[in-house]
Amino acid sequence: MARPQLTDVTRLFFRVGVTVFGGGDPTIAILQREFYRRNWLSPEKFAIAFGLARLTPGTNVLAFCAAAGWYLLGFGGALAVVLAITIPASVLVVWLTSAYDLTAHYRLAQSIANALLAAAVGTMIGAALLLVRTQCKTGRWLKPLAISLGAFLLAIIANLTPLQVIGVAAIVGFFWPES
Amino acid sequence: MNVVVLYLLLVKATLTSFSGLASLPMVRNDFVLHRHVLTDRQLNTAVAAGRIGPGPLGIYVVSLGYLVDGVPGAFAGWLAMITPAFLIIPMLRFLGARAEHRRARAVARAVLFAGAGLMISAAIPLARDAITNPLSLGIFACSFLLIASARVDSLWVMLGAALVGVIAFQF
Repeated sequence: MARPQLTDVTRLFFRVGVTVFGGGDPTIAILQREFYRRNWLSPEKFAIAFGLARLTPGTNVLAFCAAAGWYLLGFGGALAVVLAITIPASVLVVWLTSAYDLTAHYRLAQSIANALLAAAVGTMIGAALLLVRTQCKTGRWLKPLAISLGAFLLAIIANLTPLQVIGVAAIVGFFWPES
Repeated sequence: MNVVVLYLLLVKATLTSFSGLASLPMVRNDFVLHRHVLTDRQLNTAVAAGRIGPGPLGIYVVSLGYLVDGVPGAFAGWLAMITPAFLIIPMLRFLGARAEHRRARAVARAVLFAGAGLMISAAIPLARDAITNPLSLGIFACSFLLIASARVDSLWVMLGAALVGVIAFQF
């Protein structure tokens, strides 16, 4: 794995913080893809960060960012990425709050927000497939596919919470060890 | 309201929830029902402002802090939003020493694959809101293909979508 510079990491999180709409899941999807492209974080560390973020109180995506920053550059990295991803979005949300009645009727802003949300959904599904596909390259496709599909079905059909799905996956992983 | 009290109330709500908007019932109880410093309409404005902009859904606490006490309140809200995130670091330190164990790796990979399934399941309700006409379907399809191919930087995908939004508004 490549060890990135603090400025590069901060720049990536800042950029994601101001361009990704739709909440935490699209943000994690984009970050996963960017880590993969840059060879910054191994799938194992990504998985640990992802899983533990679900168990951490508060906003999961910020815990995920803190974990990713910590893996990349230690505590300074964790602090820098959490600041980079939250400060610009917080400034924007304060502005949106003060101008809410205006923006609610501002059709250009709505048109852009709708387009960004559609792109965020495409990004989420694309990144999820990329995540599984990269793990299938070695020819071991059964486990990634079975667990991903199982998690999807548990969330959609059985209505389990993400935390419960992660718990089930962890148990399956424990009893289905790596060959 | 004192900004320290505001921070403590908000951090209590964020520390006892496990996703962005899950803190909403406690926040409503403290700020609307118990202390009467916000109305339900203002709470809705905070949630809506948080959803319109980029960032996590939990960012509504920044908006809420702003409505209660202006810029100092927004700062208290921001601090309450980010404080719990750092709890993950001691958890990582504890797990880090055990991460190379064969079974630990298997569990981590299983969680990763489940994450992919969860991402797709989370995309479905978002898709119902976002894909409402042929244009948004086209943006969705192009974004999906560009991201899945791993060849295009996500920034360009988002900027391209924003540009399409601007062009669509003109027509």
